Amino acid sequence: MKKSLVYSYIGLVVLTLLVALLASGQLSKMIVTVIVVLSLLKFWLVGFEFMELKKAHSFWKVLLLGFGVLIGFLFVVLL
Amino acid sequence: MEVNNKSIYYPPGGILIWIVIYLELLTFGMAMLALAYYGSQDRLNYHTDSQLLNKTIATLNTVLLLTSGFLVAKGVHFFKNKLFQKTSNYFLWAMLSGLGFLLLKLVEYYEKLQAGLDMNYSTFYMFYWLLTGFHWIHVLVGLVILGFVRRSVLQKQKKAALEDIEAGAAFWHLCDLIWLLLFPILYLLF
Repeated sequence: MKKSLVYSYIGLVVLTLLVALLASGQLSKMIVTVIVVLSLLKFWLVGFEFMELKKAHSFWKVLLLGFGVLIGFLFVVLL
Repeated sequence: MEVNNKSIYYPPGGILIWIVIYLELLTFGMAMLALAYYGSQDRLNYHTDSQLLNKTIATLNTVLLLTSGFLVAKGVHFFKNKLFQKTSNYFLWAMLSGLGFLLLKLVEYYEKLQAGLDMNYSTFYMFYWLLTGFHWIHVLVGLVILGFVRRSVLQKQKKAALEDIEAGAAFWHLCDLIWLLLFPILYLLF
């Protein structure tokens, strides 16, 4: 439990720096997609690890996963 | 009383806070989609406006908010293990980190206003001020809630309800969730 929180935090910071670095170059459709996917990974890490959604009923998990997939898909399509 | 979080009615923090969380995500999500839609219609201007934002401050702010979220999650963990003083300390550090976010955001706002980039400057900046402004208010409210939760832990110790602590923490994490979507859409993707 303790370690999974620390690993999640390190992962979140690394992903944040990675997306900032990726966005500093030319933004192709591919890069936009990668940034959106990595941002969603961070979104879900916070939900499942920090908010302990991993312990909740599947209904709440599916809602958060579904919301992320929908908004991420629309971001990629629109941008 | 032991709560079974596997029940659909008892997610960590209680069902009410999760209804609030999803409603907030839906509201911010729709506004972000509107931003993405208008941005796709006027790509060049949105790109130019987005380049005027300070990405370094935004990245630092993301790290601050994530650090704060991590400290709150650790605090809840310590509370479950009846380490009340540690819980209180971690919540205090989380609040300071959150305060750092708010102050850094004010520095960014000041920069923007000095440069004349107010809400009327462009559609992009209308979205920028509304989205980040409402988020800023959420963080401020989250800080107040964390303050009450911390006081409750210090005063009541064993008698403080786990669900209240988790609900306060969940609201704080909601600020993380919203920011994790705002950060790419405003600062990185145009």
